[in-house]
Amino acid sequence: MTELFRDAYRYRELIWALAVKELTIRYKRSILGFLWALLNPMLLMLVLSVVFSKILVSAQPHYAIFLLSMLLPWTFFSQSLSYAAESIVGNADLIKKVRVAKLVFPIAAVVSNLINLLLSFIPLILIVIVMRHPFYLTWLYLPVPLLALAILTLGATFFFATANVYYRDVAHIVQILLQVWFYITPIIYSLETFPAKYRIFFRLNPVIYVLNGFRLGVYYGLLPTPASVIASFVCAFGALFFGYRIFRKHQDDFVFYV
Amino acid sequence: MNDPSLAISVQNVSQRFRVIHERPDTVRELFAKFRGKRTSYRDFLAVSEVSFDIRKGEILGLIGRNGSGKSTLLKIIAGVYRPTSGTVEVHGTLAPLIELGAGMHHELTGRENILLNGLLMGYSKETMRERQQKIIEFADIGDFIDAPVKQYSSGMYMRLAFAVATEIDPDILVVDEILAVGDFAFQEKCVQRLRSFRAAGKTIILVSHSLTQIEEQCDRVILLEKGKLTIDGSPAEAIKTYLGGTATIEEPVLVDSPSPRA
Repeated sequence: MTELFRDAYRYRELIWALAVKELTIRYKRSILGFLWALLNPMLLMLVLSVVFSKILVSAQPHYAIFLLSMLLPWTFFSQSLSYAAESIVGNADLIKKVRVAKLVFPIAAVVSNLINLLLSFIPLILIVIVMRHPFYLTWLYLPVPLLALAILTLGATFFFATANVYYRDVAHIVQILLQVWFYITPIIYSLETFPAKYRIFFRLNPVIYVLNGFRLGVYYGLLPTPASVIASFVCAFGALFFGYRIFRKHQDDFVFYV
Repeated sequence: MNDPSLAISVQNVSQRFRVIHERPDTVRELFAKFRGKRTSYRDFLAVSEVSFDIRKGEILGLIGRNGSGKSTLLKIIAGVYRPTSGTVEVHGTLAPLIELGAGMHHELTGRENILLNGLLMGYSKETMRERQQKIIEFADIGDFIDAPVKQYSSGMYMRLAFAVATEIDPDILVVDEILAVGDFAFQEKCVQRLRSFRAAGKTIILVSHSLTQIEEQCDRVILLEKGKLTIDGSPAEAIKTYLGGTATIEEPVLVDSPSPRA
C-alpha cells in the first residue's frame, strides 16, 4: 500500500499528463470541446425534470437535484470502471515498447474522470441556483465522500484493469454489471420508498455508503452518521487494498498478455 | 555486478513465451478447459541462457536471423519484459529506441508527444521543457511539430522519436533497426549523433540487419541463433559466422507442456 502511494507520487507528472491526454482526446475535434463535460449533466437534467415533474409525478421536490447529487458521482464511478477495463489493454502499445510503471494507467483513468466529475459540479451548482434550492453548509463536507469515492473507484479500477488483461470478456461483463448495479443502488429512487425490512439488503452494497454522503450534503443539508462514514472508508480502503494487491501481483505479466 | 566499468550485465537470461493462440482468451474457452477439453500448447524459448557484459562506452552490435531473439533480448534489457529466469543489471539511464514511435499517441501533436514520451521514459516535465527546443531542432520537421502525429510520414515519426530519445542524454542507448528509416541526410545525422555519443563515452546497443552498418559502428558483435548466444566477438568474426551459418546449435526449442497455465 505504501508502495502505491509512493509510486503514485513519484509518477505524478506522468499520471497527470496521461489524464490530460485522455481528456484532450475525448474532446478533440469536437467544436464544443470541454463544454461537453458541462453540457451532458445539463441536458440530462432538462430531460429528467421534464419527465419527472410533468409526466411522472415524483415524490421528491426538486427531483433534478435529488437525482444529480447522486447520479454525477455514480457516473464518475461507472465511467471510471468502463475506462478501467481498457486502461491496461488499451495501452498495450506503450506497455509492450517502453518500460513504464503499469499503475500509472489505471490511476490516470480515474484522475481524468475525476476532472470530469468536478467539471460536472458546475452545472449542478447552476441548477441549485436556478431551482432556488438552498445551499447548505454541508457542501463543505463533500470532499470527504469525494475522497472515499475516489479510493473505492481506484480499487475497483485496479481489479477490473487486471481481470480484463486475462479475459477480454470482463469489459463486457463490467457494462452489464454496472447497469444492474445502477438499479440496485438508490440513485433514481429513494431508499425510503422501500419497506424497512428490505433496506437491510441495500447495506450490502458498498457504493451506497460513499454516494450517500453526496445526496445528504447537497440535497438534504445533512451529514452522514459516523457509522456510515466509517463504513464508506472501510469499503473504499478494502477495495483499494484488494484491487491493488491483485494488480501488483500480475503487473509484470501484463506485457505478455496484452 | 561490482565492476564499475560495466554498463550492462546480462546473466543466464531466458525468456519463455507461451504460444499465444492456445491460451483461453475468453471465459467460454476457460469453461471449455474446465470441462476437460484441454488444449495442449507449447512453450517457446525466445531467449535461452544468454550471458554477456557490456562495458561503458562500448558499441555492441546484435545480429541474427528473424526470430532469433534479438528484439526480445533488447526488451529484457530495456526493462519491458521481466525475464523468465536470469538477471539483468543496468547502470545508468537507458533510452530505448526499440520500435518506431513507441509511446507516441497518434492524436496528439508532436510537441505534446515530446513531453509525454519524456515523462514515459522517466524524465521530469522540467527537463523536457528545457530540452524541447533542441529536440524540435534536431527532428527538423518544420510546422508538423504542432500537427497530430497521425499525419506524419514514417520518416517524420522516426525523426521525432530519435530526437527525443537522444536529446534527453541517456547513458545507454538501445537502437533496434530503426536507422533504416529516414532519408540519407537524416541517416547521416543519426550516425553523427551516434558518433558523438561514443565520443562522450556512452554505451550503445545496436540491432541491425545492415551488416555494413554493424561492421562500421560496432566494437563488438553478438550473434544470436534460435535464442542462444553463439558468437561474442569482433564484428568480422560474428558476421562471418552469421553469413556462413556454420555454428551448430541443439535443435528443439519448442517444448510441449501438457499442464495448464498456473
